[in-house]
Amino acid sequence: MLQLATILLVGAALFPNEVLGLWPIPRNLQLGTTFVKLAPTFDITVSFNAPQDLLDAVTRTKEYLQTDKLERLIVGRGTNDSAAVGQAPSLHGLTISLLTSTAPRAIAEEAVLPIVTRSEGYSLTIPGDGSTATLTANSTLGLFRGLTTFGQLWYDLTGVTYTYQAPVKIVNDIPAFPYRGFMLDTARNFFSVDDIKRTLDAMSWVKVSLRVIFSCSGSEDIAQINTFHWHVVDSQSFPLDIPGFPELAGKGAYSSSETYSTADVKDIVTYAGARGIDVLMEIDTPGHTAVIAASHPEHIACSQSSPWTDFANEPPAGQLRLASAATTNFTSQLISSIAGTLPSSLFSTGGDELNTNCYAKDAQTQADLASSGRTLEQALSVFVQATHKSLTDLGKTPVVWEEMVLEHTVALPQNTVVMVWISSKNAASVAAKNYRIVHAPSDYFYLDCGAGEWLGKDPTGNSWCDPFKTWQKSYTFDPLASLTTAQKPLVLGGQQLLWTEQSSPENLDSIVWPRAASSAEVFWTGATLPDGTARNVASALPRLHDVRYRMVRRGVRAIALQPHFCALRPGVCDLTS
Amino acid sequence: MLPAIALSVLLTVTPAFALWPLPREYSTGNTPLRLSSSFSIKLSGISQAPSDLKAAVSRTSTYLRKDKLQALLPDRGASSASAIRGAKSLSSLTLSLTTKGPVKSISEEAVADIESRVEGYTLTIPADGSGASLKANSTLGLFRGLTTFSQLWYDWDGTTYTLQAPFNIVDSPAYPYRGLMLDTARNYFPVADIKRTLDAMSWVKLNTFHWHVVDSQSFPLVVPGYTELAEHGAYSADMVYSQNDVKDIVAYAAARGIDVMPEIDTPGHTAIIARSHPEHIACFEASPWTSFANEPPTGQLRLASSATTNFTTDLLKSVASLFKSKLFSTGGDELNANCYTQDKETQADLAAQHKTLEQALDTFTQATHAGLREVGKRAVVWEEMVLDHSVTLANNTIALVWISSDHVSAVAEKGYKLVHAASDYFYLDCGGGGWVGQNVLGNSWCDPFKTWQKAYSFNPIANLTEEQSKLVLGGQHLLWTEQSSPSNLDPIVWPRAASAAEVFWSGPGGNVGMALPRLHDVSFRFNQRGVKTIALQPLYCALRPGKCDLQA
Repeated sequence: MLQLATILLVGAALFPNEVLGLWPIPRNLQLGTTFVKLAPTFDITVSFNAPQDLLDAVTRTKEYLQTDKLERLIVGRGTNDSAAVGQAPSLHGLTISLLTSTAPRAIAEEAVLPIVTRSEGYSLTIPGDGSTATLTANSTLGLFRGLTTFGQLWYDLTGVTYTYQAPVKIVNDIPAFPYRGFMLDTARNFFSVDDIKRTLDAMSWVKVSLRVIFSCSGSEDIAQINTFHWHVVDSQSFPLDIPGFPELAGKGAYSSSETYSTADVKDIVTYAGARGIDVLMEIDTPGHTAVIAASHPEHIACSQSSPWTDFANEPPAGQLRLASAATTNFTSQLISSIAGTLPSSLFSTGGDELNTNCYAKDAQTQADLASSGRTLEQALSVFVQATHKSLTDLGKTPVVWEEMVLEHTVALPQNTVVMVWISSKNAASVAAKNYRIVHAPSDYFYLDCGAGEWLGKDPTGNSWCDPFKTWQKSYTFDPLASLTTAQKPLVLGGQQLLWTEQSSPENLDSIVWPRAASSAEVFWTGATLPDGTARNVASALPRLHDVRYRMVRRGVRAIALQPHFCALRPGVCDLTS
Repeated sequence: MLPAIALSVLLTVTPAFALWPLPREYSTGNTPLRLSSSFSIKLSGISQAPSDLKAAVSRTSTYLRKDKLQALLPDRGASSASAIRGAKSLSSLTLSLTTKGPVKSISEEAVADIESRVEGYTLTIPADGSGASLKANSTLGLFRGLTTFSQLWYDWDGTTYTLQAPFNIVDSPAYPYRGLMLDTARNYFPVADIKRTLDAMSWVKLNTFHWHVVDSQSFPLVVPGYTELAEHGAYSADMVYSQNDVKDIVAYAAARGIDVMPEIDTPGHTAIIARSHPEHIACFEASPWTSFANEPPTGQLRLASSATTNFTTDLLKSVASLFKSKLFSTGGDELNANCYTQDKETQADLAAQHKTLEQALDTFTQATHAGLREVGKRAVVWEEMVLDHSVTLANNTIALVWISSDHVSAVAEKGYKLVHAASDYFYLDCGGGGWVGQNVLGNSWCDPFKTWQKAYSFNPIANLTEEQSKLVLGGQHLLWTEQSSPSNLDPIVWPRAASAAEVFWSGPGGNVGMALPRLHDVSFRFNQRGVKTIALQPLYCALRPGKCDLQA
């Protein structure tokens, strides 16, 4: 240990401009300064009877090794490495094996099923002498994470694939937080299945994933899931084809081609699972549901009311009639129908931005409240308990936006997962109520902020959450800020989010990447770098450039963070350089 | 009368008249008309029609066939199906020139003196299916008219139609300069990206591509006689614009009615020249950069050195030889005085010549501008050369006002022609957050993001006298690329840059409420043509004009 640590320090001193491309940086990492190249016959050997999705992951990893052809991000792009690469020992193989003797499960199974003792951890060793590299883990999911790491170590120089940082030793790299997600809104504008799959691929490259700790019947059950938070429908469109409710998409999708069929959803869930990602779907209720009126006007209050500013946070207005028993049954059945098709143990019922004036002005809701003798808050509680029961009946754990806990008096079981979005400051309030938290604060993680006003006839309007949230801002997020020691275990992790009023397939990649990688490292690596120092934007930037350029090589149109000049010269474009 | 009532009902759900920029004079009707399956565009009486006009006709025919843009309505046009089926067919559009004499190509017209270009046209499309006609005084005008013609049509079930015949359009631009600036030095853009951008520009009648081709970070331009600049200054041997590339871009642009105005920014923004000519650059890579430049790396041409002045003049002349434009920008923004104060050689040069820095800048600028005049070019400069420095400039020099729209009247007071390029209205990069490293809370210097609405509300003659208003040549959006690359070029530029295109073609005073549905149309049509425009709003809003207005 001491020797390797010394080598690392010496290496850092000798090559101050050298960066490594690992993202998120492993929690435990030892690197050397020896060059090793991949032999033309390099192969990855699986030492056990592997599930197909792991074999597919191995195939993808080998393809990336061949096609990435990423040159080092330094002046000269690695031409000075020529002699060292020429003399470097050749690595002929990587052997991957499981440390457990139980029958291996598919990555997709591990990604969605609650499994005691499973983890995302892995260990990776690449010797400096060309002898075989090894990757071990307790699960195929861990092996997949390790393959991702392996794929980030290599650069190209005139057709030779090499690393300059052998020997590499990573022992039990496990994430600091179990939930590492990304949210996409597919209702304001539609995204094709291909767009979503490309996004899932990119997520998997930075280990965006999630693991949730359940407390059930007094025993601790550890579920390892990975998350794509799919805000699939909203007031503007209903692209989701739900079994038994085809009229919702039939009348609510932008067009018949802009829908997610049952087969599409299955395809997306399978694709995600094979990449270690769980799909956490959200059907936002009772607000954000105006489009349901296109097929079920009886269930929607204040549909299309004007001025919309009195009835909703954005047009069109319309909310589920939460005080109506028929609407409550309809909503519960709807949620049950779609949730039942998904392997995830989580499902979000939303619950943000409820507009009380909408109900105050709705004669039917007022009549329902009067006849039941309930206040709106009481009716909301009844409504939410009913929809959540439909989820718990399926074995699902409900997820809600913070208002359900902080602004309303809704009876929610303590295992409910709460997403904090309005402000990072509200996390402490949620923790004070002893709910588990996923960080999704607009002041750090909203990818849409800073693009100006999108409402019409408002020439001087600005983005409501201006300014733009840079990767640097996201990167400095402290998941445990203002929490007591006892509250800290409530933090499951966090995610960056893309609301799509001003986004579409045309800018999906560039608005999301590489920024969304920022939280991926915050929640995998935790507060400290492998050498024990504090994680910081200065050492992160060169690695994030590496992430970006590698993503571009793999067909994801990630945005430039700086002039290329700066990307090749770590530190030179810092504020104080 | 029942059909008439039906028609008027139809009109209320008809998509907004989708021309962009809006013609200066037009009338439309409410008669459905469709393109015949044998529709063709003909040239009448144009002897030896230039090949770029023929190519433009061919491209227009292709757009008519391939756009397949459905009307932006909730039903995308379904409710008009029977009207479309029953519509008369238009079988031809005939182009003719209204002037006699030798016919110039679009390419020649596009690079003529900015004040003398003829871009007007008259387009008539009868409602009864009889032939449409397009007339102009120049091939460039015919090209603009073709662009208008191609924006009129929607697709329903394979039929290309309009619901608004007849059309009578008499059009010409309010301002002669309608541009877009692209910085290809902070990050590099392949020729294909530039060509796609030129195509998109032409679709909204923009006519000047201001090419900020080099800067302190990289020098991608291969200059005859100065190939070492790109050799040592380009990001890589692949990331260059060869002479052939430049020729290709200039020709591609001209054939689309676009003049390519190159900029070699001097004396600042030149650090990269030190890679091949360290003798010409002061304070190269000085630290902290914040004391020597507005962004890293630092380095400016040694303006007090006669050798550097000669080098720069000859360099600019050589660059000028690559371009057909009469305009050439020598830049001149963000000169950092401290860089020269700390540079021993500059101080020695100033002492030897008994000049102040300002006097030396005057000498330097006069030399480079005289060099350009020799090769027939008219100088363009950033506003500081007029407002911040005491530089002698030719009367016909054009100033680009960028720091603030508030500076326009000061430039006008000095009597220079001007182009609007105000950061507070037209900078496309604003709002992307800080890009400098180790600056966690850093924000975009020109935050917030400049929305299309903000740009659209720009008044080109605000605070100008009637006489001063004549100095306004036009304006442009600009993309500085510290945080942009080919990955986001289309969405960060389009459709926002179309905003200035209408302000400077149609003239000021348009209102954003009327413009938004048409701008959606621009955006969706661009998408159909392969330009990845950003969504301005949810599709829900794009299909329902007015519904997502603030006051709706």
